[in-house]
Amino acid sequence: MSNAQPTASSRSISLDLYAVALALLAALLVRLNLIPPIKW
Amino acid sequence: MATAAIATPGATSFGQRAIALIPGLLLLGAVGYAGKFIELSINAYAKSHHIAFPDIEFVLWAIVIGLILANIVGVPRIFAPGVATYEFWLKAGIVLLGSRFLLGDVLHLGGISLLLVAIALSLSLAFMHLLGRAFKLKPKLTSLLAIGSSICGVSAIIAAKPSIDADDEDASYAIAAILALGAISLFTFPLIGHALHMSDKAYGLWAGLAVDNTAEATAAGALYSDAAGKVAVLAKTSRNALIGFVVLGYALYWSSRGQAAQIGNKAAFLWNKFPKFILGFLLISLLATLGFFAKPQLASLANLSRWAFLLTFAGVGLRTNLRELGRQGWRPFAVGAIGEAFIALLTLGLIYGADHFLTL
Repeated sequence: MSNAQPTASSRSISLDLYAVALALLAALLVRLNLIPPIKW
Repeated sequence: MATAAIATPGATSFGQRAIALIPGLLLLGAVGYAGKFIELSINAYAKSHHIAFPDIEFVLWAIVIGLILANIVGVPRIFAPGVATYEFWLKAGIVLLGSRFLLGDVLHLGGISLLLVAIALSLSLAFMHLLGRAFKLKPKLTSLLAIGSSICGVSAIIAAKPSIDADDEDASYAIAAILALGAISLFTFPLIGHALHMSDKAYGLWAGLAVDNTAEATAAGALYSDAAGKVAVLAKTSRNALIGFVVLGYALYWSSRGQAAQIGNKAAFLWNKFPKFILGFLLISLLATLGFFAKPQLASLANLSRWAFLLTFAGVGLRTNLRELGRQGWRPFAVGAIGEAFIALLTLGLIYGADHFLTL
């Protein structure tokens, strides 16, 4: 049990960081007009 | 979570893991877009035929299609790794949603949410423990259910499990109960909100404070209205921010009883458990407040956030395995359900009080 959980926990932390990194990168690309306007 | 058990056998290198995600990602996109297509088609049909038909958000269609695929048709395992990314899209979507909030609004609504969360949290944790005792659940299972239903659903249970040295079986019972209750909340909360004629802000706060999982809270808010969905995410994010404190409290309690490891550096423990995507949300909100983005750029960021949530809502339906939830036994579910009903009523009362005294 103690072997599995730190993996789940650290996976959750890196998931957070990857999600933040992707969102910030997208925001930067939008700010620099490097991607076309996103429609919904 | 239900999909956590799904591994990618033999996929070791980054490239192989990335390729393994593709089928599930395509499925998330297809299910989410099908939901959006159904919403648009119904609205266009109703408009062209002059029929008054309520606007049913794509969120509901995407979740229902996902539920049907996962529970009636069956989803082959090849899709599992990609479907499991729905939580990643949820977090990226929340960070981008920061662009729709001025920091002042975040601090105002977030402050009210934190105050309500603190009151609801202490009462609901105490109530869950009384219930657990009444239903003769194992104390650590009760702790996990209390953490899951009061704070942040599955993520909180996963964060707490190693800290209080709980069994795998207890954690899977608690997760199954929380997921089942989250699925029920998705359909009951909007109905109750409409029956009570709640404002978007009051309903969004309620969904954010009472629905367990972040994905379900976001969906329950968006099912009511776009504005309610926005507030639900903010309230839920404030609730998530407290995850470390609650887990730390439980870890200290169980270690004082000699049933969990000692906590060394408490600040490091809190930082480790703190959901980092909240910082991203605050950063984007700060940049938007400072005028870093032009108006069309803000619209693009808001739309990117909607696309990320579209993938999330598809994943909510696809990862809900109703048969597996039914196999987990009735007692943890009963404790969770009664506790959830208590939390829903308590937070509803608190929100009416806050609306009266604090002006939401």
